[in-house]
Amino acid sequence: MKENVKRVVVLTIIILVSSLSLYAYYTSTEDLIREQETAKLTEEINQIFPDAGRFVQKEDIYYVYSDDGDLIGYAFKATGKGYGGDISILVGVNNDEDLTIRKISVLSQSETPGLGTRITEDEFISQFNNKPIDAIKLRSNNGEIDAITGATISSNAVVNAVYTEYKNKIKSIQR
Amino acid sequence: MPFKDFSKGLVKANPLFVLVLGLCPALAVSTSIENAFGMGLAVIFVLVLSNLIISLLRNMIPKDVRIPCFIVIIATLVTIINITFKAYLPSLTESLGVYLPLITVNCIILGRAEAFASKNPPLRSVLDGVGEGIGFLLAMLLISFIRELLGSGGLNFTILGYKLGEFTIPVFSSMPALFFIMPTGAFLIIGLLLGLFKKTGVLR
Repeated sequence: MKENVKRVVVLTIIILVSSLSLYAYYTSTEDLIREQETAKLTEEINQIFPDAGRFVQKEDIYYVYSDDGDLIGYAFKATGKGYGGDISILVGVNNDEDLTIRKISVLSQSETPGLGTRITEDEFISQFNNKPIDAIKLRSNNGEIDAITGATISSNAVVNAVYTEYKNKIKSIQR
Repeated sequence: MPFKDFSKGLVKANPLFVLVLGLCPALAVSTSIENAFGMGLAVIFVLVLSNLIISLLRNMIPKDVRIPCFIVIIATLVTIINITFKAYLPSLTESLGVYLPLITVNCIILGRAEAFASKNPPLRSVLDGVGEGIGFLLAMLLISFIRELLGSGGLNFTILGYKLGEFTIPVFSSMPALFFIMPTGAFLIIGLLLGLFKKTGVLR
């Protein structure tokens, strides 16, 4: 009987102490983690919009303003199913007549090293620069993007993700 | 002999090559030296602290609920490491991915808690943790060295985000044996190393 009670008491105390210390540690680092995430996002947006001054988030869309306060473009995240898992992409859109793609950048991927990972290289990525959305298809699909040899699935995943998410997001962009 | 508690983890009771514990992260994260190093450090941290705490509590924890108690303690430590990496080393968190939280169920940690820390005093348990942890780190570095060299055709010495140097094999690096970066290559390399160590008996 006494042994039974001891079991419950010891396990409960251990769990209580664990939860409390985790709670304390989490609340003390929460701001730092959020800061890191914002810093990372700012850096990524700055890569696409080097002239960006600040950005405002509204419903998963980042409205990017220049230092003078002019709206220079939009950015949003897109996710595609690659060969080795999800590919996460940040898409920058110009604030022009046709809302052309400004630039894209791959935030995270787990593709095959040496083949699929080449989707992060400039040779592939720069094909998207300043293209209208209708050109964002693989060349075999009457588009203007050349797939990477040996990594068609990864290339296709990026192209599809950008295209689909663009069509989704463009409806809710407030100009 | 406290020193023996430390040194046995390096060779005689090497967690990967002799005890054959913790194969899952070893297979998954040994694709590059950078990842192997980050993983090794995280395992050392968790292993040392979990051994210490479990050894201190060893007389209070009732025998039949010891496994849940160990798991709660280990999971707490792993969560702390996970939060710390997120706050201070976000890039490493990204490359280690899900394998960082999975240290919780790494058999090395629970294995040492059960086999050593729950029966021995704190100082010896800490030494055991340091030794086994460094043994794991060294084994990870050896595996990832071979895999990165053959699989990407070169080596990239980046430790915790700081780049120390780079080395590529001419000609070979343009067409490396990608196979070694894949899971299949990991099984092959670990299998061959295990066989080699067993056959030659260098680790005995």
